[in-house]
Amino acid sequence: MQFLKRTENWNITYEHALGETASWFYTKIRDDAEIYGRRCPESGRVLVPPRAFSDQTLAPTTDWVKVGPEGVIEAFTIVYDAFKNLPPPPYAFGYVMLEGADTAIGGYFKGVDLGDPAAAARKLAIGTRVTTRFAKERKGDVLDFWFETV
Amino acid sequence: MRTALQVGMIGCAFHAPRNHDTASLEEAVHQATHNALRDAGLAIDDIDGIVVAANDQYDGRAISIMAASGSVGGVGRDILCTPSCAEHAFVLAALRVGAGQFRTQLVVSWSSLETTDLSEAQRLGTDPYFHRQLPIDDLSSHGMQANALEARVPGAREAAIAVTESSRKHAAIAYPEFAASPVDPRVIASSRVVRWPLTEGMVSKPAFAVVAVVLASDAFIAERGIGQPAWIHGMGWATEPGFLGDRDLAELPSLRSAAQQAYDAAGITQAESAFDVAEVADASPYQQLLALEALGLCEATAWQASIGRGDFQSGGRLPVNPSGGALSFNPVFCTGLMRIAEAGNQVRGQAGRHQVADVTKALAHGASGFAMQYNTVVVFGRDRKEVQQ
Amino acid sequence: MKAPRVGIIGIGQSDYKSRRDDANYPELVREAVALALKDCQRSLEDMEAVVYSLAPDALLGIGNAERLGVDAVGARNKRFMRINTGGSTGISSVAAAHSHIAAGACDIVLVAGADKVGECGDSQTIMNKIWDPIYERSLPLGTITMLAMSALRYMHKYGMTQEDMARVIVKNRAHAALNPRAHLRKETTIEEVMSSRMISWPIKLFDCCPQSSGGCAMVLASEEYIRANNLEAVWITGLAHSSESYYLGDRMGRGYTADHADAHALGESFQRSYKMAGIADPVRQVDVAELYAPFSNTEFHAIEAAGLAPIGRSPQMLKDGEYFKLGGRLPVNPSGGTVCSNPIAVTAMVRVAEAALQVWGRAGAHQVQGAKVAIASGNGGDHQFFGTMVVEA
Repeated sequence: MQFLKRTENWNITYEHALGETASWFYTKIRDDAEIYGRRCPESGRVLVPPRAFSDQTLAPTTDWVKVGPEGVIEAFTIVYDAFKNLPPPPYAFGYVMLEGADTAIGGYFKGVDLGDPAAAARKLAIGTRVTTRFAKERKGDVLDFWFETV
Repeated sequence: MRTALQVGMIGCAFHAPRNHDTASLEEAVHQATHNALRDAGLAIDDIDGIVVAANDQYDGRAISIMAASGSVGGVGRDILCTPSCAEHAFVLAALRVGAGQFRTQLVVSWSSLETTDLSEAQRLGTDPYFHRQLPIDDLSSHGMQANALEARVPGAREAAIAVTESSRKHAAIAYPEFAASPVDPRVIASSRVVRWPLTEGMVSKPAFAVVAVVLASDAFIAERGIGQPAWIHGMGWATEPGFLGDRDLAELPSLRSAAQQAYDAAGITQAESAFDVAEVADASPYQQLLALEALGLCEATAWQASIGRGDFQSGGRLPVNPSGGALSFNPVFCTGLMRIAEAGNQVRGQAGRHQVADVTKALAHGASGFAMQYNTVVVFGRDRKEVQQ
Repeated sequence: MKAPRVGIIGIGQSDYKSRRDDANYPELVREAVALALKDCQRSLEDMEAVVYSLAPDALLGIGNAERLGVDAVGARNKRFMRINTGGSTGISSVAAAHSHIAAGACDIVLVAGADKVGECGDSQTIMNKIWDPIYERSLPLGTITMLAMSALRYMHKYGMTQEDMARVIVKNRAHAALNPRAHLRKETTIEEVMSSRMISWPIKLFDCCPQSSGGCAMVLASEEYIRANNLEAVWITGLAHSSESYYLGDRMGRGYTADHADAHALGESFQRSYKMAGIADPVRQVDVAELYAPFSNTEFHAIEAAGLAPIGRSPQMLKDGEYFKLGGRLPVNPSGGTVCSNPIAVTAMVRVAEAALQVWGRAGAHQVQGAKVAIASGNGGDHQFFGTMVVEA
């Protein structure tokens, strides 16, 4: 009894509307290499990346707050496995709380030798200070910036 | 079936911005939530739990409840998701209140237009074993069902055209901003064929909308002094099998079952004369015809006569889809919840320009999936149901 | 008016494997359903409603795949709905079924589903798509990387080590060796776990759940039905859900409600379930726990969220030897848990099924002696949705 198989691929394209808040955020990154957050009036937290409303309170956020470029590592991992459609390993990424922000934003960590996982992990330990670096050519995307240890 | 505590619809919002590109999906869902809570006179803290429904493939998010949950007040709350269809979210929410575990529930569903290829997304709903190579999307399935119905019922096509015309006329009053067209039956009949026998004029382009509804228990409603809820007198839901070839597309036994469940619970024996208004599924006019029959509102043999007489038009003996239905505005994934909400609003006296006078009982029907696979029926009443103990 | 009690009268589980090339998806569902029906001597015709357990469609490669499962669960012309809360889908499905009965709409409900994660080309690629396209889709986030970051924060806060994590795997594989349904049943050692391939620091291959295929089904019924038909049952006495913010970065920094290191909303969910079940002192009152934990480190914060250990202390308690093992105090995941079998669409239902089998005295070689009160949990989304349940004899 021969068990047969069929190969199928899912191929759908989407145009996701970013909305005013995210659009403004990315425009600032693209044009001025600056990162901004928005404050939730009820909790006082500056949310980065910014959102039009806080999901904790459902209240609309209020003022724009410039954050960074320095910050602190809140979480990270170093990937050693290849996953389809994701970058070739090894690479490090995680979350950074930029100065002025109360939440952490995701991004890649570059400039650290990832050959020895334990050594690299010590260099990127939670609490490590980092600074934001911006690409020369920016598109208005989270990949326009990354973090390096200071 | 024992009757448990009673559940009422106390708030509703439709968010259908003209231009859906200016806000993210999550922001749109948040807006609808905000509007529904305001309509109910409640704050998010009054909500005990939430049920949402969306289609991952339409949204382009592998678990659509994830980012959306923040928008609907899901953080710190009990939130579930029924991606089978929007109507199921309503059903589950009503069951959760009826179980006595929650005093209120928020129900939110949306139909996004961020994929450039809705048809392709729908085609992924066919099985890869036998049917994926075929061009089966929602519209194709509606076309097949229409053909089956035409073969079974002489005059079905004429009835379908007439129903389309009525719906567009209703929409011109209810939601003139949709500019639902064509209205002229000759144009409806002769416009370009999209999926034989369906013409472009017989269906409505997919639209973007978010629909939100608030439900509450009788105790909560009494405590807060909330006036004129739409009480759920009966609810029924059932499904056809998945393979179109396993079905007689000209019949809807699952809708008959769902209707029976709802009518039994509501104590309705003569559906034809029990309701003041009905909102039924009509992604194509043939759906509406099938619904009229399976809901016991009008036998197929009487379609032409009843429709010709204007029985189901505004002002007729039983207005059907005074909102204009999906034939006029079609947020594909959540049209079913929209029908339920429109019927509930009629009972609440909140149906705006298309309010039917003196509504004491309304019938709602939503259908989803290929060729009306899922059918859900809700009976709303203005007064609390007589409790059988 | 008091809601009717809801009992579990039948349970069916596949043997979980990497691939099931002999059965297509609906057939896999049917297999579990047949087992559950046989277990309670009911037929498909007896079922008044079906709740279908199915997580992301993309993993199966079929949009709204539940539509194809209608016949597998005998739902033609019957009440039918599908639940999806990501990884917690299975327990959310049981909760939805509970509502059908507690609301008086039905007396007997079938809950069922299956998964074929092994057939999907690359589950992490799909898991990347659960992140929102506005901010985080460009990042290489997946369930492994997300929970690796949770491990790191937990290590930073409480001093957990990679050896502590390995100890969870050693414990659970030893449990799975006694469970014929489990996928990964081979016992292992701390050394073996520590030397397995690093996937995403600090999570290594052996710290991860497998990609499993298989199905699970359960039959729930009202107390009235159970008495009228003279059936055996165990009872769902508490159930609840809660969720966290979707934004991982909001669970860090300053002023957060939940820390990504912990499982705050899981704790909220357990508190609600316990309240409903009248459990004021879980350490004393709970006999066994089946807690959803797809990676070794996540079992610790799940144990703490369930109130079975003080926050940050469970790694030491496991190391000291008395706790969390079969035969010891507060056994956790005697079935082997999620790290030994993960057929995603139903994994959280399996937690409930295993909890039920325990208090029923039917857990075979992995039975916790004298268990009368069991708890179960499920996690979904980006560690976002949490369902919990209390099941009692």
